[in-house]
Amino acid sequence: MPKLRAIAASFRHQYLHFLADPQWLIPNVILPFMITMVVLIMFQGQQGNFALYAVLGGGMMGMWGNTLYASGWSIQFDRWNGTLEEVLATPSGLIWIIAGRSIWNALVGIFNGLFILVIAIVFFNADLSMYDPVLFLLAFLATLLSLSALGLLFSSAFVLTRQAGVLTNGLEYPIYVGTGCMFPIALLPWWTNVLSYSLGPTWGIESIRYAAIGGYEGFATGYWGSMAIMAIISLTYVAIAIYLFRVVEMKARVNASFVRY
Amino acid sequence: MVSDDIVIEVKDLVRIYKTGEGLLRRKKKETLAVDNISFQVNKGELFGMLGPNGAGKTTTIKMMTTLLLPTSGTVSVMGYDVAKDPYEVRKHIGLVLGGEKGLYYRITARQNLRYFADLYGVPLSERDKRVDELLKRVDLMDRADERVEDYSRGMKQRLHLAKGLINDPEVIFMDEPTIGLDPQAARDARKMIKELVDGGKTLLLTTHYMYEADELCDRIAVVNKGKVVALDTPRGLKSLMKDMSIIEVEGFGIADKEIEVIRSLPGVRTVSATLGEEKQVLRVQVADAAEMLNPVTHVLEGRKIIGVRVKEPTLEDAYLWLVEGNA
Amino acid sequence: MFQTVTQAGRVFWSSAVLAKRALFAWLNPGLWIMQLFFMSVFQIAFFVYVVRYVQGSEATVAYVAIGNAISSIAYVTVFSVCNITGEEKQQGTLQPVLVTPANRLAMFTGRAMFQVVNGIATVFIALGYAAFLFGVNFGNTDWIALTVVITLTAFTMTLFGLMLSSVGLYLRTSMVLANIFLFLGLLVSGVNFPVTQLPGWLQPIGYAMPLTYATDAARMAVDGAGLSEMGGLLFNNAILGLAWLLVGYIIFRVFENLSRRLGTMEKY
Repeated sequence: MPKLRAIAASFRHQYLHFLADPQWLIPNVILPFMITMVVLIMFQGQQGNFALYAVLGGGMMGMWGNTLYASGWSIQFDRWNGTLEEVLATPSGLIWIIAGRSIWNALVGIFNGLFILVIAIVFFNADLSMYDPVLFLLAFLATLLSLSALGLLFSSAFVLTRQAGVLTNGLEYPIYVGTGCMFPIALLPWWTNVLSYSLGPTWGIESIRYAAIGGYEGFATGYWGSMAIMAIISLTYVAIAIYLFRVVEMKARVNASFVRY
Repeated sequence: MVSDDIVIEVKDLVRIYKTGEGLLRRKKKETLAVDNISFQVNKGELFGMLGPNGAGKTTTIKMMTTLLLPTSGTVSVMGYDVAKDPYEVRKHIGLVLGGEKGLYYRITARQNLRYFADLYGVPLSERDKRVDELLKRVDLMDRADERVEDYSRGMKQRLHLAKGLINDPEVIFMDEPTIGLDPQAARDARKMIKELVDGGKTLLLTTHYMYEADELCDRIAVVNKGKVVALDTPRGLKSLMKDMSIIEVEGFGIADKEIEVIRSLPGVRTVSATLGEEKQVLRVQVADAAEMLNPVTHVLEGRKIIGVRVKEPTLEDAYLWLVEGNA
Repeated sequence: MFQTVTQAGRVFWSSAVLAKRALFAWLNPGLWIMQLFFMSVFQIAFFVYVVRYVQGSEATVAYVAIGNAISSIAYVTVFSVCNITGEEKQQGTLQPVLVTPANRLAMFTGRAMFQVVNGIATVFIALGYAAFLFGVNFGNTDWIALTVVITLTAFTMTLFGLMLSSVGLYLRTSMVLANIFLFLGLLVSGVNFPVTQLPGWLQPIGYAMPLTYATDAARMAVDGAGLSEMGGLLFNNAILGLAWLLVGYIIFRVFENLSRRLGTMEKY
């Protein structure tokens, strides 16, 4: 399986770079953490489920922030490093290389999410007794994978642009808003709901809430229904990403955008 | 020649770059980088591409190595079309791009080579052995576990060479492999290139350095403004100059205007001038040295001339004539 | 003396022109417009919806909408200024630039000034969103006072960005630093809630940020307060900007020496 080989090697490669330069902890962990702090303070003084709601959303924001930065920069890094052409000249498809790197980043994302939960307990005295810890963990991991799939989808765009910085920053808040991770999407204008429903993590945060908050009433799909829809959407993302990477690789060979940066 | 022996076949190759200019409505500008070139490289051959900056050498190499698509025309490597079968082509070729970039600086040489070995699908059982062999071969073994960012330029270039060989490729492309190396390092690199060809590899390299091409290459394509202006063995290229002589003038304070006057003298084919720190050297290509000696020195009257010699033409003179003269 | 000043002026001007050109060579106009128009709207939307969900009072919605609109200045100025040293490292031009005898301060400030204009435009667009999408009432606004606040803040935040980019000269990525301070700004400078709601140990950091005084002054101006009523806030804002510039200059000199000694200038 040459694809698995490329994924495994790129996973290790990302990990080596992470160790070589732990400065990346800052965008990956600390930034999303700061936004969560802001929201937690805004939620302060609210009773019961509000705090849990904020913490769960914060965890997801943390994971998205991390995924987005990581997938955006993993190609930009090669571009700056001058290794993009060298990597492309290998018989391994770019998508598997990015996928391997994204899996490592997703792992960092787990720590990130858990870190926020711990901070919430320690500093904000949030009551985090989970309604169903096992289902919660399952939903948490599934949401993380869904976020990674979304990141993979966006990262195809980064092959063609030098401007990963603008794109990553530009895609951060739209997902925070669109997935309704900190408020019910019913608050949003009705016409945006279609967009929210097409985001896998929207369903992920729903199932997380079902598992964590006893008596939670959200989407009619319930825990398992939301999980199933998230799975279908995420697989669709991966399928589109595979297609897009092919197109984008071809396009880059036509207009020479690998070379310019 | 049997067609099985043709490893690289370039046919009617054209590459046009479109670049955008201007702010909001981008004006499209087209640059013709490679203008209808064709050649073949045989198995076991060391093929050189020689040409000034911007001649289209690197663009051609990038098309041959699947990084760029031809605008028109075809390239096949080991029988695979670079546009249709890029992944097959990539399995069989090695690529060494010149310059300092192209390596992961924050990790070690060994980690770099392992990563590329994995991406090239080198069998796991052979991977570490091959990495060790290559590290030894490019003399980086004792610093293999240091980060590449602490390497000297020469060491990085050697690591580049090792990286290009990681998949034991049948065909190796090198874009100016000795650029920026000190003489000793460049000599080592040339030695390695020779060994590769002796070992049965096919090698295509681009270079600026004439003596390098002369020393190494079986055949040389001289490229200028996107076209192949000559394709022959080094000896064949030199024979382009067989009826010519070189008048070499060393002196001080020779002005551009005077060089132009010499160039326009009837009987002079072309003039090249090297400006050193102290003295200038003019090489004037003429058919009949005895006849031209006086007119040339006449133009330079009043300048301080150290010496005037008549010389046999070299490959460099052939190259200069092809690139600068109206060949 | 006069010659030094004009020379610094020339360096300043040519650097400003270069920054504009570099911006467009690097960031294509489409993306720039996207940044100008869309970056702020989602940030404002996110915090406005959070506050609606939590409290539902329109007074707080206006508080958050104006706060985030003003903080979009920080995004443009701080981020772009930090880009300057970061980008030069990536392009390998940092060393050639530093060996020139040009006055470093003039050079980097010159490059930053383009971002001031960019920042002001971004904020006015963001305020437009606050008015039309999130229903903030600008009926009583003292526009002169608001314009002064925004212009002053664009300058002070640029100075703050210069300080960060001096640190970036030494660290591998100044972008990372820029990001930290942008997000820290959301937390500590009264963007979404008053500084007094912060844990006690965080409050001094809030009071050291020029942005803290800018958000307060902007809210006053929207409510109809004139320049005379916000003199103290403007003064603090300006003084802090200059203080950070001074800090930045010292850091710059120290790090320039350090990175020469340690050879980290071209590492990233």
